[in-house]
Amino acid sequence: MKASKSSATAELPLLKKSSKRAKILANWELYLFMLPALLYFLIFHYFPMYGIQIAFKNFVPSMGVTGSPWVGFDHFERFFNSYYFWDLLWNTFSISFYELAIGFPLPIILALAFNEITSGKFKKTVQTVTYAPHFISVVVMAGMIITFLSPSNGMIVMLIEALGFNAPQFLTDPAWFKTMYVLSGVWQSTGWGTIIYLAALSGVDPQLHEAAIVDGASRFKRVLHINLPTILPTITIMLILNMGNILTVGYEKILLLQNSLNLEASDVISTYVYRAGLVDAQYSFSTAVGLFNSVINVILLVTVNWIARRTSSNSLW
Amino acid sequence: MNIRSKAWKLLMVGGLGASLLAGCGGGEEAANNAESVTVSKEGFPIVEQPITLTMMAPDVGIQNWEDMVVLQEMEKMSNIKFEYKNAPKDSFETKKNLVFASEDYPDVFYAAGLTASEQLKYGEQGVLVPLEGMIDEYAPNFKALLDEYPDVRKSITAPDGHIYSLPVVEFSQHWYRNPMWYNGEFLEKLGVDKLPETTEELYDYLKRVKEEDPNGNGEADEIPISSVTTPAANIRDIRTWLLGAFGAYEEEIYVDDSDVVHYTPMDESFKHYLEYMNRLWADGLLDPESFSQTAEQKKAKGQNNQLALFSDWNAYMTKGGEPSTEDPMFLPVRSEYVEKAAIAKNRGITTGAFAITKTNPHPEASLRWVDYLYSYEGALLFNKGPEGTLWEYENEADRTKKYLPVPDGQDREDYRATLTPNYGIPAPTVTTDDIGKGLTTDFDTWVSEETQTKLLDNGARIPFPALFLTVEEQSEINSLNSDLSTYVKQMEAKFITGAEPMSGWDNYVATLKKMGAERVAEINQAAYDRWKAN
Amino acid sequence: MVKAMQESKGDKMFLIGTYIYLCIALVIVLYPLIYILSASISSPQAVNSGEMWLFPKDITWAGYELVFNNPKIWNGYLNTIIYTVVGTLLNLAVTLPAAYALSRSDFIGRNWFMGFILLTMFFSGGLVPTYLVVKNLGLIDTMGALILPVAASVWNIVVARTFFQSTIPKELQEAAHIDGCTNIKLFWKIVLPLSAPIVAVMALFYGVGHWNSYFSSLIYLNSESKYPLQMVLRQILVLQEMSAEMNGAGVSGEIAQAMNSKAETASLIKYGVIVVSTLPIIAVYPFLQRYFVQGVMIGSVKG
Repeated sequence: MKASKSSATAELPLLKKSSKRAKILANWELYLFMLPALLYFLIFHYFPMYGIQIAFKNFVPSMGVTGSPWVGFDHFERFFNSYYFWDLLWNTFSISFYELAIGFPLPIILALAFNEITSGKFKKTVQTVTYAPHFISVVVMAGMIITFLSPSNGMIVMLIEALGFNAPQFLTDPAWFKTMYVLSGVWQSTGWGTIIYLAALSGVDPQLHEAAIVDGASRFKRVLHINLPTILPTITIMLILNMGNILTVGYEKILLLQNSLNLEASDVISTYVYRAGLVDAQYSFSTAVGLFNSVINVILLVTVNWIARRTSSNSLW
Repeated sequence: MNIRSKAWKLLMVGGLGASLLAGCGGGEEAANNAESVTVSKEGFPIVEQPITLTMMAPDVGIQNWEDMVVLQEMEKMSNIKFEYKNAPKDSFETKKNLVFASEDYPDVFYAAGLTASEQLKYGEQGVLVPLEGMIDEYAPNFKALLDEYPDVRKSITAPDGHIYSLPVVEFSQHWYRNPMWYNGEFLEKLGVDKLPETTEELYDYLKRVKEEDPNGNGEADEIPISSVTTPAANIRDIRTWLLGAFGAYEEEIYVDDSDVVHYTPMDESFKHYLEYMNRLWADGLLDPESFSQTAEQKKAKGQNNQLALFSDWNAYMTKGGEPSTEDPMFLPVRSEYVEKAAIAKNRGITTGAFAITKTNPHPEASLRWVDYLYSYEGALLFNKGPEGTLWEYENEADRTKKYLPVPDGQDREDYRATLTPNYGIPAPTVTTDDIGKGLTTDFDTWVSEETQTKLLDNGARIPFPALFLTVEEQSEINSLNSDLSTYVKQMEAKFITGAEPMSGWDNYVATLKKMGAERVAEINQAAYDRWKAN
Repeated sequence: MVKAMQESKGDKMFLIGTYIYLCIALVIVLYPLIYILSASISSPQAVNSGEMWLFPKDITWAGYELVFNNPKIWNGYLNTIIYTVVGTLLNLAVTLPAAYALSRSDFIGRNWFMGFILLTMFFSGGLVPTYLVVKNLGLIDTMGALILPVAASVWNIVVARTFFQSTIPKELQEAAHIDGCTNIKLFWKIVLPLSAPIVAVMALFYGVGHWNSYFSSLIYLNSESKYPLQMVLRQILVLQEMSAEMNGAGVSGEIAQAMNSKAETASLIKYGVIVVSTLPIIAVYPFLQRYFVQGVMIGSVKG
C-alpha cells in the first residue's frame, strides 16, 4: 500500500529533475523493451510517411513521390465539392455509430455469459462455433446475405412470410441497408470480439466472488459488481480505439451489397474513393480523402480519450 | 563506362558473352552492349546471338510461362529469351503501378492493358519508347495491318503523334456486349414464328409470357426479362439492347451519324428508354430482382426454365444443357421514335497491349518478336498452339484445320491454357476468321449467321471510336464522372422502378448539367474531331 | 435460510437465462456455418435456386477435388504455416516487451512513446513508399517481406498494455524490485508466466492475421513457390470467376464456353475454399481456450 502511494506521487510534476533521471536510469531496461517496436514503427511507418505529400500533388508513379507536381488542395476541393459529400459523410458516420451501438456491447455480454458457464463441453462448443464466422471471406458473406434475403426464395424472407408477415425488400430498400449491414457484421464478429474480454475476465479475483457469496450476493449482482468492473479498463480502451476508427468503414462488403436502389443509404467514403480510383489509379485523390478521414479520426480519438481521462482512470495516455 | 563496355565486347568475342548475358537478363550491362547485336529485318532468327529480355504480363495461374510450349518455340525460332515477371491477373494493376513507381521496368509489357492515360503519361516521361519510327522497318506484319486499316493507326496514335503501344485487334469478334436470347420453347409454345420487331410487339410478347404459362408448369412463375447487378454495373447486360430501340448506340457516349457526340444519360432517347422500362417494371415484365440478384441467381432461374429473354454469351449457358439452335438471338427492336434501331458493334481494337520501356536494350528485336504475333502464322501459334498438338491442317493451302483429340482426355481449353499465354488476357495479336477455319461447329456457324443477319446486316456500328484524350482531358473526365455515373445509376433505377416519377426528368437533366454532363460531351466531341481530322 | 433459498432460485433462473441466450447465439451462428458446409458439396444449381437450404443436395465433391488436385495447394499450406509461426513469434517478441514497458507508470516518457505509436494508426505513407522501403531493404520476394512489415500492430500493443496495466498488481513489481530483481527478470520470470491469457490472445490475433493475409504476398512476392495458401486459393478462385465478366478483349467463343463450364464449379469452390482455409485455424482455438479460465492468475500469485 505504502509503495503504491509513493509511485503515485512520482508522477507529480513537482519532482526534481535529478530524481527523474534516476528513474530513467533505474528503468533503462524498459527502453530496451521499447526499442524493437520503435525501430519497427520508424522504419516501416515513419520512413514511408513522406508519401502523404501526394495528397497535395498529382502523383505520377514514374516521377516518384517527390518529383510529382504540386497541386495544393485540389484533391480536397474536389472531394468537398462532390455532389455526394454530405451524403457520404452522413452514411459513413451513421453506419459506424450504428455498428458501434449494436456491435460493441454484444461481445461483452457474450463474454460475461461464457464466464458463467462451467460445463466444459457446451462452453467450448459454443465458443468455437461463434468464433468461426470471423473467417468467412467478404465475398462469401455477401453472397450468403443476398441468397438468404432474396425476395423469391431467400431463407429469411420465407421464414418471415411463413409467420404471416410481409417481408420488406431487404436488398433494395434503402431503409434496410444499414440494418442488414450492421446485423450481418454483428453475426460475423461478435464471437471473435469476446476473446479479448475472456482474457480480461481471467483476471477476476476468485476471492472476491467467495466473499460476495458469503454476503449473499446473487449471481447477477456478482457479474455486475465484480466481473464487469474487472474488465472495465479493457472496455474503455476498446471503446476509445473504436472511436478512433469511426470514419473507417471498409468498402469491400458494402460494394458487394450495394445496388443502384439502395445507393443513397449505402454509399460511404471508402466506396466513393474506390470508384473514383477504379478508372485510373488515382493515388493522390485517395490519399487526400484518406488524410481527411485520419484527421477526423484523430480528433475523435483525442476527444474521447480526454473524456475517458476525466471520468475514469483508464485512457490511452 | 567505356572500359566496361569494351570488356563486354571482348567477352562476346570469346563466345562467353552470350551465356553470361543470358544469366543477367536485361540490366544495364546488356544496354551497353546493344549496338553489337544485329537485328535481322525479316525471317528467323531475329538475332544471331541469343539475347535475354524481361517481360511483365498478367497470368491466370494455370501454367508457368517458362513451361509454355508456344513461348519455348518462339524462343527457339527468334533467339530471344524472355524472363517472365508475372502477376496474377486480378492484381496486375497494382503490380503494374508499383513497377512504374519503383522504376523496376521490365523490358516489355505484354497484355498489360495500359490505359490511354498511362500510355500518354509514361510516354511523355520517356518510360515507354515511341514505336512509330521502328514500325516501318521492324514490324512488317503490323505495318501491313495499319496500311490496310487506317483507323487502327488513328486509334493507337497518341495526341502527341507517337505510338506508345500496340493493340489487340479482333476482327472476328463483333459483339459489343453479350447478345440477348429468346427462350425458343416459349416462342414455340406461344406460337410466335416472327420475332418482335418493335418495342410494342416486344411488350406484347413479354406480356403473353407472363400470362400464358409457356413453361407449362401451371404456375405463373415465368419471368419475361431478367437482368443482374454486379458491383461494376447494373442491368447493363440488357440496357445496351433496349436503349438501341430508342436511338442511342451506347449508354455513356456515342456519336450519331452527323458526327455529333452525345452524353447518353441526358439524351431524349434515354428518357424514352426509361419510360419503356418503367412500363415493363410496372406490369411485372422486368424481373423485380434485376437490381439485386447475382449472375448465379439469374442462371438458376434460367435452368429452371423461367426466363423468356435474357443476356448471355450463348443461350444454353443460362438455360443449361447442350448448345442449341432453337433459342434465337434477340432481333434489335425499334420504337416509334426512330427509323431503325441503333446497334452497337465491337470496336475490334483495344490499345495498350504491348509496350517497350526505355531500359530495353533491344527495342528493335522486341518489336520484331511481337510483330510475328500480327502475322497469320504467329497469331495462329499463340491462339491455338503449335500444329500437331491440338489441331492439324486438313488443307494448308486454304487454311482449313481440324481438331485432334486432347491428350489425356482433358478439357480442350484447359489444355490450351497450358500451351499458350493467350488465355483470357488482352494479348497483342490479331484474330481473323482464318484462324478458326474448319474448327468451328455447326452451332458456331449458326451463331455467326444470327450475328450477321440480325446485327451486322441491320446496321451495327461502332458507337464511339477508340481514341486518346489528353492527360488533362482525361483527368477532368474522371473527376466529373465520379459523381455523374453514380447519379445516373441511381436515377435510372429510380425512374424504372417508379420511385421517381418521369415528371422528374427535367430536374434530373438540370442536375446533370450542374454536374458537368455537357462538359463530358464537349471534351469527347473535341477528341472525336481530332480523331476524325487525322 | 429463506433468503438463501430465494436467491439460489434467482441464480438458477439467471443461469437458465444464460444458457438460453447462449443456445440462441449458437443456433444463429451455426445455421450459416452448416449452410457453407452443405453448399460446398451441393450442386451449384441447387444452391443458387434456393433448393438447398440446410442439408447438402445432389452431393458433389468437384469443388474439393479441384482445390486439392491443384499441385500448389500443399506447398501453400506449408508456406502459410511457416509464415504464421515465424511471424507470430516475432510479433510476440516485439509486442509484449513494448506493451509491458508502456504499462509501467514509472516509465518516463511513456506518453511520448504512446503518441509516437498511435500516430501510425492514422497516418500512413501509402502503398508506394512502403513498397520502396521494403524494396530498398532487399526484402522483395523473400519471407521477410511478409513478416517484417507487419512485425507489430498498434491495436495489439494497446490491448496488451491495458491487460498488463489492469491485471499485474503494482505490489508485485515493487516487491520484486525490493528483492533486487531486474526489470528483464521481472518481465521474463514473473510477468509473462502470469499473463498466459494475453499471450494466447496476442498469438491468436497475430496468427490469424498471418494466416489470412494475402495482400503482402500479392505485392511483395514474385515466385509462386513462395505463395502462401491464401494466394494459391485466390488464384484458383480468379480462374473460376473469370466467367463473371465475359466481355472485352481476349475472350473468344471457346473461352466463353470454358468459362461457362467452370462457372458451375466456381460457386462450389467459393464455399469449399472457406472450409479448406479455415478448418486448421479453427482447430487451434480449443487449445487456446484453456488460458482464458477465470482466476488463473491470481491463484498462482497467491499460491
